[in-house]
Amino acid sequence: MRRQPTASIVIAAAGLLAACGGGGDSNSATPPADAALSPMAEVGKLIFSDTALSVSGRQSCATCHVASHAFSAADGLAVPLGGPSMGQPGLRATPSLKYASYTPAFHFAADGTPTGGFFRDGRASNLAEQAQQPFITSFEMANADAAEVSRRLQGRPYLDQFTAVFGTGVLADPNQTLASMGAALAAFESEDPVFRPFSSKFDAYLKGQATLTPAELAGLQIFNDPSKGNCNACHVSGSVAGVPPLFTDFTYDSVGIPRNWQIAANQAAGGLGYAAKNGIALGGEYAYYDMGLCGPQRTDLATRASLCGAFKVPTLRNVAIKQNYFHNGVFDNLNDVVSWYVTRDTAPGRWYLKADGSVDIAYNDLPPKFDSGINIAEAPYNPGLAPMLTGDEINLIVVFLCTLTDGYDAGNPQAYGTQAQCLQANAAASH
Amino acid sequence: MNRFALHPVARAAALVCAAGSAVAAIPAFAAEPQGSNAAVIRKLENQNETLARTLAEVQQQLQAMKQQLDDMKRQGSSVAEQQKAQGQQVEQAVAQQQRMKTEVAAATQAASQASQQAAVQAARSDVWNRFSLWGYGEVYYLRPTHRSEQTNLDLARAVFGIGYQFDDKTRFNSEYEVEHAVSSADDPGEFEVEQFYVDRKINDAVSGRAGLFLIPAGLLNENHEPTNFYGVQRNFVETLIIPSTWREGGLSVYGTTDSGFDWNVGLTTGMDLSKWDFAPEAPLYNTAQQLINNGVAPLQATHQELALADARRLAQYASLNWRGVPGLTLGGTYFTGGAVPAQPDIGSQRTRLWETHARWQPGRWDLSALYARGSISNTGAANARFPGTANPMPSKFDGWFVQAAYNLWQRDGYRLAPFARWERYDMGAGYEGIAPGFPTTPTGPVPSSTSPTTFDYFAVPRDHVATLGANFYLNPNVVLKFDFQKFRTNTDFTRVDLGLGLQF
Amino acid sequence: MLPRSPASRACFVCAAAVPALVSASAFATTYLSAAQAEQALFPDATAFVAKPLALTPEQSRAIAAQAQTPLQTAFWKVFAATSNGRVLGYVITDSVIGKFDLIDYAVGVAPDGTIRGVEILAYREAHGGEVRTPAWRSQFVGKNAKAPLSVGVDIANISGATLSCTHLTDGIRRIADYATRVLAAGG
Repeated sequence: MRRQPTASIVIAAAGLLAACGGGGDSNSATPPADAALSPMAEVGKLIFSDTALSVSGRQSCATCHVASHAFSAADGLAVPLGGPSMGQPGLRATPSLKYASYTPAFHFAADGTPTGGFFRDGRASNLAEQAQQPFITSFEMANADAAEVSRRLQGRPYLDQFTAVFGTGVLADPNQTLASMGAALAAFESEDPVFRPFSSKFDAYLKGQATLTPAELAGLQIFNDPSKGNCNACHVSGSVAGVPPLFTDFTYDSVGIPRNWQIAANQAAGGLGYAAKNGIALGGEYAYYDMGLCGPQRTDLATRASLCGAFKVPTLRNVAIKQNYFHNGVFDNLNDVVSWYVTRDTAPGRWYLKADGSVDIAYNDLPPKFDSGINIAEAPYNPGLAPMLTGDEINLIVVFLCTLTDGYDAGNPQAYGTQAQCLQANAAASH
Repeated sequence: MNRFALHPVARAAALVCAAGSAVAAIPAFAAEPQGSNAAVIRKLENQNETLARTLAEVQQQLQAMKQQLDDMKRQGSSVAEQQKAQGQQVEQAVAQQQRMKTEVAAATQAASQASQQAAVQAARSDVWNRFSLWGYGEVYYLRPTHRSEQTNLDLARAVFGIGYQFDDKTRFNSEYEVEHAVSSADDPGEFEVEQFYVDRKINDAVSGRAGLFLIPAGLLNENHEPTNFYGVQRNFVETLIIPSTWREGGLSVYGTTDSGFDWNVGLTTGMDLSKWDFAPEAPLYNTAQQLINNGVAPLQATHQELALADARRLAQYASLNWRGVPGLTLGGTYFTGGAVPAQPDIGSQRTRLWETHARWQPGRWDLSALYARGSISNTGAANARFPGTANPMPSKFDGWFVQAAYNLWQRDGYRLAPFARWERYDMGAGYEGIAPGFPTTPTGPVPSSTSPTTFDYFAVPRDHVATLGANFYLNPNVVLKFDFQKFRTNTDFTRVDLGLGLQF
Repeated sequence: MLPRSPASRACFVCAAAVPALVSASAFATTYLSAAQAEQALFPDATAFVAKPLALTPEQSRAIAAQAQTPLQTAFWKVFAATSNGRVLGYVITDSVIGKFDLIDYAVGVAPDGTIRGVEILAYREAHGGEVRTPAWRSQFVGKNAKAPLSVGVDIANISGATLSCTHLTDGIRRIADYATRVLAAGG
């Protein structure tokens, strides 16, 4: 389908902008607070919260990516609900959009490591591409196709703003319309400082404007110590190229997350119509397995068995205010997350359970034939041997992770870290 | 021939004169009275007969003269012919002369060409004379006594050097090195240019250098060939603290005084501290060999080796050695320079190294000692960016050694020299910006990258090492080495080593 | 052992300021002519008389065996230093290869074969110019063929110029043996 030149230039420019922002923009590590948004970003901001663009009329980007929760879920569910009547559960937990613009485009690094990309399996190569998908996903905003989205857009009051940026020509081609909407959203996510404030207590500490408590420091030390937490290996805690630590290296890892029976896609009986029944063919026990890079939502790497089970390393910024963790939302508190890392192989029966609560095989959210791709060689994984961290040390890591929440005000430190799990962790640390 | 010709002519002329006088005598006779007519007639007849005879003679003579003239003509023509022949011969001779001249000219030209060619050949062989080729190499057999599965046999380095002498004052030197035998992206080896510089004699007292050259620091950096040091691998102080083989790019000026002072000052590239690995996931070295090879020490990890080296921040050094007494060397070096900072916005950082050394070779002994100390400024700001990581950047590092070797036995080219060395290195003598209570080296075991059930430890970055061994020279250029090294702190590094070193 | 005190370091600096600067790391440099070397070794001599080098095969073998190196007399020139007809001693000039280039030198010996001095006429190597220092050359003075005259035994090595030192010392050792075996014996 032929695109009109002007629109494609604009889209390309927007894509470039998003990619620039996504490629580790080293020139603007911390954004100026009063930067005005470009007209495209303003349009994107409007689209971001516009529920009228969904079939249900009740869902926009902001429905799942809630600003007050670091632009991730606020509904406490492992996976969000969506679809035409807001009753269809999704397949994966909502990732945070904060700091997402630093993600590079998906590629394989020189040593073959998959890196970058958007969605938890990297199937969208830039923000604009990712932003388009929820509009036409049947269990999300549920538009049948781009034409329907375009029709809805053309009934919106800010259409003039939209055409002022993209021209009226884009409206003639629904694909271009949708692409332009994606570009606008990407511009918004890249430009608006609200997506990358770097205002956590840890940031203040790095700038010398705050001191960490002994427990927080101890947690940081355990986080970075390669003979203990070794979290630093993937959740990079040092600044890179002048950008404050993003706590991810944007690579993928298969870590054998336990199967979450709370999400409908994993239910043994029936499952979900839109969750591909790939399990039996792969020799697994269950009908559906979400295997990340090798499918089923992503299709281009289906033959790469070594990548099955690998999901993107997410940023740990604002991790304390997220309501669930990992791609399937299997854990809802950080202590479980860290404890699972430490005792995954020393006490697998604690984590890998069947739907009825009995003990399942280890790594039960992956067909067994892909177990060889699971990371077992790095600390804190420790097959067969003693856990590398004690319970107290696990708690100290949680205490440290609580310093990564944005919004630290040096003048009012008591208002910080009031999430339940943080208060709990700090209380446990001070014993 | 002419005399002969004259003769008949003269005779003929005489005859004619005689005939003429005879005829002239006749009228005189006619004037006498008629007395006796018969007598007169008889007299006249007699005279007639005489005249007839004379005439006949004259005719004969004329005939003879004619013949002689003919002869002469013939001779003359033969003379002419001879002359012609002579002329021809002369022509031939001239022609021959010309030919000879041409031949001589050709020969001369050939000779001159030959001599020119010879000169060119000589010049080319002179070119070959201006070339020099040298090199050295080392093979190590290293066996940690407590971890013998890490035993290693390595062609540690194969180095060749090419030099060219442009003229009396200007010389080019270069050295190229292949480490660990196979150099490629997937292999452990490396190919590098170790030296590449022009050396120019400025005057009798002073010379200068430009390019990539060795920093004159320590006892070993400039004389790092395997035949020049004791022990299989180079000592730790002069590998970790002074990063032998330490080379930088830039300019230097040096000279020697009559009283035995060698001085050397230079302006070179500095260190790049952004190459420092603050947060390694796995231990940076698990054996003494890896400690030396993996480039983990402060200056080892950050020197630029003129590979797209940052040159905005330059370094300077000054070195002084005194060799006034044969067998005694005393000296020191100070190196200081701006460095590329570890992180872009922590401000500027500076690296410094100073060292002092002594070597004394009385008789059969070879005694040496060295102390080196380095520092990096503003590491606190860098370390604060990586709190709690496994490998913070030190602000101070130092080391020293004392060594004694003895020429036990020497004959023809053979030489056996046992030695002993006691040394200490400390790659983390001081740190800044470490939060209180944080260790600077992780203490726990780390799963090995090779297998999840084996564990490595981060080695302590300081140790005392005792080395005992011997160098056995087959000739001054080939040495077999043996040593035993005992580590006091990182006891797993204790090892037995054998080595082969050669130089040409 | 280490000169750590500031005072001794200051001495180095002072001495370095001495203006007499001579390059030891030079190349293709001729320092003395043979005549100058002769004069330096025997200042009292009035004439230097060339002496033919007549070595019998036995003598050659003996010298080589004693010196423990092959005998190289290709460059040897022997001069008797005389004053008013009296022989004061001998000067032998020779050349040896350092590492790549020739080193021209002269050895002065007393009539009994004792070394009086060593002069370096030309030194072309890039390293090891310290052989030219009086201190290094004075190691040979007063020794004869009975001394080891060997680097690493009684002659100091120069780091980085082992070959030059060694070959030069070998050459002097051969000459010393020749001086004792032949010249002192009246040959």
